[in-house]
Amino acid sequence: MSEKTDTATASTDTTTSTKSETAFGGSLSERWEQLRGREGTVVGLTAIFVAVFPWLFARAPVISDFVQGYQSLATLILIWGIFAIGFDLLLGYTGLLSFGHAAFWGGAAYASGIVAKNVSGDPIVMVVSGTLFAVLLAWVLGFLSLRRGGIYFAILTLAFAQMMYFMAASPLAFLTNGENGLTGVEVGSLFGMIHLEADIPAFGGMLLGTWLYAFVGLFFVGAVAVAYRILNSPYGMVFRAIRENEQRAEFVGLNVWRYKLMAFIISGAFAGVAGSLFTIHGSYVPLQSLFWTESGDIVVMTVLGGAGSMFGPVLGVGLYLYVENIVSTIQALTIPFTDIVLIKDFGFYWHLLLGAIFLVVVWVVPDGLWGILSRIREFVSAKLGGDR
Amino acid sequence: MSLLADIVVILLNGLQQGAIYVLLAVGLSIILGTLKFVNFAHGALYLLGTYAGLFVALSVPLSNGKLQEWGFTSFGLDWGFFAALVLVPLVVFVAGLLMERFLARSFYDRPDTDQILVTFGLAIVVQELFRVLFGSNSLPFEQPERILSVGSFAGIPVSGPVALPIVGNFPQWRLWVIGITAVLVLLVYVLVEFTDFGLVVRAGTRDAEMVRLLGIKITRPYIVVFGIGAALAGIAGVVGGPLNVVNPTIGTNILVPAFLTVVIGGVGSIAGAVLGGVIFGLATATLVAFAPAWSQVGLYAIAAIVLLTRPQGLLGDEEVAP
Repeated sequence: MSEKTDTATASTDTTTSTKSETAFGGSLSERWEQLRGREGTVVGLTAIFVAVFPWLFARAPVISDFVQGYQSLATLILIWGIFAIGFDLLLGYTGLLSFGHAAFWGGAAYASGIVAKNVSGDPIVMVVSGTLFAVLLAWVLGFLSLRRGGIYFAILTLAFAQMMYFMAASPLAFLTNGENGLTGVEVGSLFGMIHLEADIPAFGGMLLGTWLYAFVGLFFVGAVAVAYRILNSPYGMVFRAIRENEQRAEFVGLNVWRYKLMAFIISGAFAGVAGSLFTIHGSYVPLQSLFWTESGDIVVMTVLGGAGSMFGPVLGVGLYLYVENIVSTIQALTIPFTDIVLIKDFGFYWHLLLGAIFLVVVWVVPDGLWGILSRIREFVSAKLGGDR
Repeated sequence: MSLLADIVVILLNGLQQGAIYVLLAVGLSIILGTLKFVNFAHGALYLLGTYAGLFVALSVPLSNGKLQEWGFTSFGLDWGFFAALVLVPLVVFVAGLLMERFLARSFYDRPDTDQILVTFGLAIVVQELFRVLFGSNSLPFEQPERILSVGSFAGIPVSGPVALPIVGNFPQWRLWVIGITAVLVLLVYVLVEFTDFGLVVRAGTRDAEMVRLLGIKITRPYIVVFGIGAALAGIAGVVGGPLNVVNPTIGTNILVPAFLTVVIGGVGSIAGAVLGGVIFGLATATLVAFAPAWSQVGLYAIAAIVLLTRPQGLLGDEEVAP
């Protein structure tokens, strides 16, 4: 995984050099239009975002007081963000709605937890084993579920994931510790010297906080880079072709089935990385992580943020987890800067609120919040860019 | 002798468990088969049925939730079970009509995925509404003692053990569930297969545009089909409520088995839904008796095997399946 981040930083460098070459000519907005689609720009901006996010969210003066974020939630948002990016490859780009991704998320969480308990607690070993397990599982389940499309695919994936859940709940309880979840996972230190829970010293600590966040952040940037590369390659174009018109893609001579299986496996791999990181983050695997509501959550997050866009799902994750963890603690909703209470026990309604927003989004703006944002952006840039 | 008794008990328990699945699956199946609408909110209708049934039939104390905070200490009309069995299907029928008119209709022309997403969203909203109102705790839903208990008028006893040949004592309510289901499913079957209404619906399943061209308003049968499917889910909630716990998650929990029943039976086939429900019920009851750890896994394993070997479902028609 560290290789990927190397390439990411390398490509950032190349873009900076090209930027200086094309610096003259064209207005500012024009130059930005040229730059914003480049892989280096996307990955670089992601890295910057990852670097300042926990500071803004948990430690910055004024802002963090207002949003009331905390370090551990920032880490969790990135972990779910990786999951959502992978899920979106399948739902948003290939057009397959899986209701069974909890199998890969929870499966990888359990696999890495079991490896940590029985073999080695090295974080990298945990991530690799969890991801491998998720890939193998996705291969098998994809092979079985992709025989039929549409609702059958959704229901088959759901059925297999539920089967995993009930397997973990009792027949395999000797491995998974059943209803109680996998407790006592001891995460070792990275490269044998860095304790993930510890704060990063000096300036890095102020920005990033813990080593765990930095570790997760690297994977997040890597995930963005990989997903971006896949989606903008000819391979990713085929995914989109299948979403638009499967039959036509078949007629062109593409082996649609193989591409769908590959999309499913790739998506499972992302879920696997995220699931393993989730175990490292919490040192615990709840049985709930295999339940189908978890699959439902990732569907809600992805669609809420905007399926079919690179960062929409991450926005959805941020919103969902923010509402789940912080809005849910709000005692009373007041009109800002006054004491007039609008809704008592506001936090109590958090899930209802999310459900209602999700319903409206699906109904009215199927491309999600990111769709709204990009329409605003296009509007503004059209105003700025004049009559081009 | 006792082995035979065991087998009969497993059969009866299985049929009862299957009956709930059948009621839900028949509704889902006719909606999916005729309207081509994927209803992930069917569990929410079951949830509504259970709570409405509890409300009409009994009166239970509330321990948490907003209703209790607002000063309601108990919940329910205490009109008896027969009233619930009559009123609840009507209520849920109307809920189904409203759902068809205001939600489903605008999604007929959108992809399956959107239908799944919007109904899933509705299911979350309904579940959370109930959680807000009644709290997350389980409410007690006692089995009714008499089918009629309005005032001093007492009817046939329905709960408690009943002596059966071979088996000995068996909970009577479970038999009632099987009986009620059998009658209702038969009614729906007759309605779809042998009436003019059913003819229009079946014709619409084959070719809705042609039916329209023949001058038949297909929207009206459609909305009624949706309502009937909803009412069946409501009844499933009423009769199934006393056998399970009553809390806001029952809707989403029962949705998955119900959907699997539909797809293994074959979409659009009432007989298929019955067969699927009976297979699931019997399999679950058998596993509960012999290998309790595997009781839940079995259902999903059966579903996977059936769908992989016969994708259109056991009694499904490849042509009609979406």
